Amino acid sequence: MSQTPSDAPFLRTLAPLLRGLERRLRAWLDGQHFYPVPVVRRAETEGLTDDLKRKADALDVDHPLLVVMLMGGTGVGKSTLMNALAGAAVAQASPTRPTTRDPVVYFHNSVNPDKLDPSLRHCRLIRHDRESLAHKVIVDTPDVDSNDEENGRKLLSLLPVADVVLYVGSQEKYHDQFTLELLKQQRQRRGFAFILNKWDRCLQSFKSGVRPDEDWLADLKAEGFMNPRFFRTSADRWVEGATPTAGKLDGEQFAELKEWLELGLTRLEIEAVKARGVGLLLDHVATAAEAVLPPDLTAEAEKVSASWSGHLTDEAGVSTEVLVASLDPHRTEIEQQFNVRGQHRFRGIMAAYLRLTTMSHAWRPIRSRLPLAGGSQPGPPEDIDLTEFAHGCARSAGDRVLDQRGLALVNKLLVDADQQGFPVNLLNEPTAQVSKMDWDERFTRAVVDSLTEVEREFTTPTGGMAYLQAAVRTLANYLPEGVLIATIFVLLWRFFVEDFTPSFFHVLLPFFVTLGTLILLHVLVSLVFPVRWPAIRGEFERKLRGRLEAEYLRAYQSVPKESAANVLQDRQQVESVIRETGEITEWLTARESATHVGELYGA
Amino acid sequence: MTEPDSPRTRLAQLVADYDWLEEHCRKQPDLARHAGHLRLAAALTRNVVSGAIERQPVPPLHIAVVGGAGSGKSTVSNFLAGGVVAEANPQAGYTRHPTAYVSAAQTLAWPSYLGFLGPLRKITEKSPSNRDEDVYQIHRVSPSEAADPLTDFVIWDCPDMTTWASQGYVTRLIEVSALADVIVYVASDERYNDKVPTQFLQMLVEAGKAVVVVLTKMKEADAPSLVAHFRQEVLPRINGQAEIPPIPVVVIPFLNEAERTDPGKAGAKYRVPLLNQILALCPSPKEVRERTVRNAVKYLETSAAGLLEVARKDLTELEAWSATVAGGRRTFEERYRKEYLVGEPFRRFDRTRQQLIDMLRLPGPARYADQAFAILRTPFTYARDFVVKLGGPVEVPNLPEQTVLTNAMTGWIEAIQAESLRRTGTHSIWKEVARSFDSGLKQQAMDRFQVVARQFELKEGDELEQAGRSLTESLQAHPGTLGALRFGMLGVDVAAVVTALWLTWPPEWYHLLLLPVAAAVGHTAAELAIRLRVDAARSSARAKREALLSEVVTKPMARWLEDLPASGGSSVERLQLALRRVPEAVRELAALTTATPPANPA
Repeated sequence: MSQTPSDAPFLRTLAPLLRGLERRLRAWLDGQHFYPVPVVRRAETEGLTDDLKRKADALDVDHPLLVVMLMGGTGVGKSTLMNALAGAAVAQASPTRPTTRDPVVYFHNSVNPDKLDPSLRHCRLIRHDRESLAHKVIVDTPDVDSNDEENGRKLLSLLPVADVVLYVGSQEKYHDQFTLELLKQQRQRRGFAFILNKWDRCLQSFKSGVRPDEDWLADLKAEGFMNPRFFRTSADRWVEGATPTAGKLDGEQFAELKEWLELGLTRLEIEAVKARGVGLLLDHVATAAEAVLPPDLTAEAEKVSASWSGHLTDEAGVSTEVLVASLDPHRTEIEQQFNVRGQHRFRGIMAAYLRLTTMSHAWRPIRSRLPLAGGSQPGPPEDIDLTEFAHGCARSAGDRVLDQRGLALVNKLLVDADQQGFPVNLLNEPTAQVSKMDWDERFTRAVVDSLTEVEREFTTPTGGMAYLQAAVRTLANYLPEGVLIATIFVLLWRFFVEDFTPSFFHVLLPFFVTLGTLILLHVLVSLVFPVRWPAIRGEFERKLRGRLEAEYLRAYQSVPKESAANVLQDRQQVESVIRETGEITEWLTARESATHVGELYGA
Repeated sequence: MTEPDSPRTRLAQLVADYDWLEEHCRKQPDLARHAGHLRLAAALTRNVVSGAIERQPVPPLHIAVVGGAGSGKSTVSNFLAGGVVAEANPQAGYTRHPTAYVSAAQTLAWPSYLGFLGPLRKITEKSPSNRDEDVYQIHRVSPSEAADPLTDFVIWDCPDMTTWASQGYVTRLIEVSALADVIVYVASDERYNDKVPTQFLQMLVEAGKAVVVVLTKMKEADAPSLVAHFRQEVLPRINGQAEIPPIPVVVIPFLNEAERTDPGKAGAKYRVPLLNQILALCPSPKEVRERTVRNAVKYLETSAAGLLEVARKDLTELEAWSATVAGGRRTFEERYRKEYLVGEPFRRFDRTRQQLIDMLRLPGPARYADQAFAILRTPFTYARDFVVKLGGPVEVPNLPEQTVLTNAMTGWIEAIQAESLRRTGTHSIWKEVARSFDSGLKQQAMDRFQVVARQFELKEGDELEQAGRSLTESLQAHPGTLGALRFGMLGVDVAAVVTALWLTWPPEWYHLLLLPVAAAVGHTAAELAIRLRVDAARSSARAKREALLSEVVTKPMARWLEDLPASGGSSVERLQLALRRVPEAVRELAALTTATPPANPA
């Protein structure tokens, strides 16, 4: 083939760009979408991606082939037209409808069938050696409107290959709804030329109405084809072996159609059609991408987070109340816990005394008094497992109140998010997940930590209290022993030195005095080391509330922001597709040659 | 004026229901195919059933000429009339409204009952048939022969159903097709295997219309093969159901000028077979009309059964809605039970217990003995109370009942709201509910809840009081038992003390410790019995409270919420109404038409 290679690279260089765009789209399709993509949109994008690949493959050749496809209702004479154009009976034509079931592909000898689009390869392939049609492939298709729905499907699978569609209508069918819908659907994608076949039938004498060609042209005008490529033909007069009927019909244009196909569509036109096709496809890709472009929800996410914090704080308040209330019945146990811990700071007689006085509680350690799991081994007081205790409380509270509240909270948050204009569907799953987290565990940890913290605060005070406590501790640790030794010393002194004979009472006196001291000190200790539940309850509640607030906020407040961030990521991906499409379109427009193919595309 | 239950009102109501259902189907893409059937049902009701009930005179019989654009309906009309009456031209889809051709010799009463041809208006002035409005016109044509076989018929030339414009006028076509006693289906050599006209024909056959198929425009030579192909390819699609009589097929091939312009004479060889087929379908006018009415009613009956199909999606969604409400109700009741009822001690029963114990005290002078024993067992009582306090059951504190209820109700409402937001894209039910939440539904629900909650509060107070009182009253009602119990207790106490003393005689000082225990034996046993009795009452009160909540609060609330999508003039309410009314009305009308067959004017 002797082509001018100078302008060949133009379309060829387009191929890699289209492949790049296709890959990007494919990546988007295969990737994860946070913002839901409607099935219809997804299918559309998939189709476009396939088309991009097809286009890229079709352009990646030395000399692009123009695919011209005949389309129309059953019986309008597509096959007859095909035969007339081929000058031989290449397509089956008969009076029974629908005739064509297997599409016919009519192409030049020089074209390697393997280079044809895959969907064409399975059709009936007819080769010819007409140089004027060397770079054109003409395809006869099945109908769109008969009862045989398989035919319609075949046509739809072929249409994406077409560069130019020859929309064939007859006197009866030129403006059927079926084909018009197909035109509306496809005109955004490829060129259209119109053939009013069976022209002889349109020429009957009539008194009313308008002639079909005028009627159809008016239809097309309404569709935006102001000056369409329009041919009036009577194909049955041009097929091989047709009886030459009385002369030429008035206004019959089969010869013009043939000339246009053979000579009118030069290489320049073909390239223009191809480029236009790519341009239309890119426009389509851009529109489709715009349609699936997720919104930017950052601002809404901020608003939702802010509004949620109110609900979450409230919820933390209620949860705190419930948890503290579930601890209330165990005040003695908790106080005991503190007391036992406190005893570690004392030694000697004071420690023994304290242990003895708290013995009354010691047989009833916390562990055996768990709200749910009762009856475990009563161990020594030091062994009390605060975590287990707190866990029991949290579990019982959770079982009674908090679990239900967790679900209710999610509903509340979703409703609120909707009022802030955030799409609920995006939050549905993440919030459900958060609500299913190990809240039991979290409550337990919060209770334990808050209790421990409160304990530490109360046992390691600061400022004057610290000195006071240190003083009391020192006093309590040494005074009882001192008093005991002193009283015994006095007693011995009086016995040996003053020769005083002590009665039984006198012998017991040192112990009584020591006991009195211990009792006094005990009172002092309980004043200075406050471990009464009512005293620590408030502090504990405050701590727990803060803790739960943080916990709730951390778990929930980030959800809208994360969703928005994910959606933003989606958005950026789609935006990059749009940007790239725009760039290719620009590149294409800059190089588009000025040929006259506009009438194939309408306004 | 029509009285409310007259057949006319019934008819109008039925038609309105069909129209509404059709509109409803058009809104949902996957139900669009039902829309045409509903439109036909409405048209049959208006034009056939109504006519039968109004005892419209027969003849005239109606022939509707239908078919795809450009297939030659006007030409066939001319053939039926026996002269050029309809304008035939090559513009496809030229005819936009139906035109009736009536023999000038006909002295028949033109149908005049209410609802005849529904939305179509009769125009008296002559107007070109491409006037695109909801009208019909009547042309009187002079018969071509002295005794025209179709004198008793009205021939309707109808618009097509295939062009892009037909969407706007297919209702006119359906209206006339419903009226027709005989359908002449015209299909050209291009059109005969087309999907849209075939589906239309199928619909008419399902409606029990008598059909004659006319194949047109083929070359004379191709006619037999086309007819064979039509019978083989197209008719089996239509004859889906068994009991349909065979459909006759006649041929009018591509005509020359003379045949076209003079169907009566030049075209007689095509006209005569066509007329024969029509007359073969019409043994006598009365019989034909009866058949038309019978088949129409049958169609209405079968389609009434198929209505559920139309509504299935809505009903499934409605079920999902009910399930959501019911789920919310379960959660509500569970929350009430767990957050309140489980921990509620019903203090009223503590009072009852005290009252019972007090009642067991001895009256009159015997009370000194009682008091003596009370003093005697004081040490024991203190010791017991101390132990009980140490090891007694832990009381789980409760939130106040009203708070629990309000919280649970808010949770219920919000669960519904969240669910409807989640599903708002799937069906209009959810969307409508979500929208009504925006316009204060929540407040409305909470107000309603406040009312029932107040009732509940009153009733629960009453019930508790009654349960408590019934315990004391049952004892008071039997003074004999009460007395026996009182003295029995004292007797047991005395016996125990005496036994203790007798066993330990002579008593050491520490044996005296036994006395308080012994003095408390009878009393403790009685208290234990009372406690058991009261606790039983307590748990039965708990169960009763749950039942009361279900009855007074959650049941009415759930019912109100369940009805929410189906109230306030919503589409679901209308749908349910139509679903209930249509089969009823069809049954009634069927009975009416069989009871009063259309009268033949004597």
